[in-house]
Amino acid sequence: MRRTRLHLLHMFSGIAIAVLAGIHMVALHLEEVLAFFGVDASEPTSWGAMIARSSQGIWVGIYIALLAFLLYHALYGLRGIILELTPSARKERVITWLFVVVGIAVFIWGSYVPISLLSS
Amino acid sequence: MKQTAPRSNYLGVGGWIWAGNYKLERYLYLLHRITGLGMLLFLTFHLTATTVFRIQGQEVWETTMALLSNPWLKAGEYLVAAAFVYHGMNGLRLILQEFGFLLGKPTPPIYPYKDALRKKRLWVVVMMVVIFILALVFLFDFIV
Amino acid sequence: MAEFNPEKITFKVQRYNPENGGAPHLEKFTVPFNKGMTVLDGLLYIKENIDSTLSFRASCRMGICGSCGMLVNNYPHLACHTQIEEFHSDKLTVRPLPNLSIIKDLVVDLTPMFSSHKQIKPYLIRGEAGMEDPNAEFAQSPQELNTFLQFAYCIKCGICLAACPTSASDRLFLGPQAMAQCYRYCADSRDQGQKERLPLVDTDHGVWRCHLAGACSEACPKGLDPALAIQLLKRQLAAEALGLGKRRPPSPVVPPIKESKPKVPYPDFTVKKEK
Ligand code: SF4
Ligand code: FES
Repeated sequence: MRRTRLHLLHMFSGIAIAVLAGIHMVALHLEEVLAFFGVDASEPTSWGAMIARSSQGIWVGIYIALLAFLLYHALYGLRGIILELTPSARKERVITWLFVVVGIAVFIWGSYVPISLLSS
Repeated sequence: MKQTAPRSNYLGVGGWIWAGNYKLERYLYLLHRITGLGMLLFLTFHLTATTVFRIQGQEVWETTMALLSNPWLKAGEYLVAAAFVYHGMNGLRLILQEFGFLLGKPTPPIYPYKDALRKKRLWVVVMMVVIFILALVFLFDFIV
Repeated sequence: MAEFNPEKITFKVQRYNPENGGAPHLEKFTVPFNKGMTVLDGLLYIKENIDSTLSFRASCRMGICGSCGMLVNNYPHLACHTQIEEFHSDKLTVRPLPNLSIIKDLVVDLTPMFSSHKQIKPYLIRGEAGMEDPNAEFAQSPQELNTFLQFAYCIKCGICLAACPTSASDRLFLGPQAMAQCYRYCADSRDQGQKERLPLVDTDHGVWRCHLAGACSEACPKGLDPALAIQLLKRQLAAEALGLGKRRPPSPVVPPIKESKPKVPYPDFTVKKEK
């Protein structure tokens, strides 16, 4: 049941992304709508607002979790598409391991940055 | 007798896009795939901007942000938001249906045949209405 | 709608002869139209009266044998099961089914479909008791029968493979036909082979490559719903992986009838036998 577990994780990460990235998008894009509900979120992409966010543990936590889920979901999805195009088991193994390595590397880099900024 | 290998007639990637006059779900599948790949592309840019550029300090960040406020890129950003809404909502439907919900039970086929997806078309319509409303909300915020 | 009654129908048929080489091309034939004529009737007319080298496969002419699947006006149909009238057009384009290989003209090679069908063990698997010594039947209620009955009507025509976008590019993909049959046997209350069969579809080219495009169910000429079967199979796999759901015991063997009803007495002979 290995592929099934991987796929269940794909589905679960999809739901997690919908929630976490939903928060992220509402906070960064829907400033007018948020203002309507009385939340002040003007200029969410300005340096000040961003630094303010990145010094809060909760946002850093959201970002790192989101990154992990996103990388898994995206790379698993892309791998699925590539598998539909390669009829060779050996190539498939190479692709899978390549994706694992890329995913881990990006995750380390992507979580190192917010953590290092947390203290600055 | 001369033996000849059969001629391959696989449609390949073209067959993802069009293989005949099919109805709704086949194109929802295609759009799901396209939005997914599009967001992956966006993600690479987005991650570069928020890690590589951000770690270089305020000035680099502000020039990047100024670059990104170009109206064309804003429109692109809206497309990503709309893709996110679509991919998310359609994904939710797929998760439910892949677990056999919203599909009904197998019934003996009685003419005229109607398959589960078409019997439960209403759910797909509901999903698309929700997507449309959410996309409009995002559009509203991108233009004001 | 106006009565559809043209004098003639123009058939454009894709020809390909491996022995002459060359690419497949369309050839035009004009066929007189009669009411109630099927696409297969048109092809037979061409073969009998115009060009006897035209190859296609057909046998039962009643939608039962599954040999006449072809792409008519860009949609897969059983030629014998489809009236020309349905198209409301006097031009028909007939091509072989895609996502399979062409042997000649409209004849496609269904071997890949049959081999994946065979791969998923399409027969009842029983435990210890086995099927070796069949001396009684297995009990099954009508409700249990309905969970898989529609999937038992598959005629292996290959139309669902022609419709499937994953089959279009992925040659290792089992295809909707085989996976629907996998569900058909896994859902059968008389079967115990889930443990053997589920790992066969739990591969990189198994159920999880189905993305619910639903084209197979739309196109199936026998009203099967392979897409539904695959989703139910996914449900079984997920339940298995998460350890959810309860195992149903395989249906029992019907005990032999012990006491037989008293025989209806023979009526007396009305004619006396002569001694
Ligand atoms: S499932 Fe339907 S379309 Fe597919 S092979 Fe069987 S009868 Fe043909
Ligand atoms: S000839 Fe048998 S199904 Fe058409």
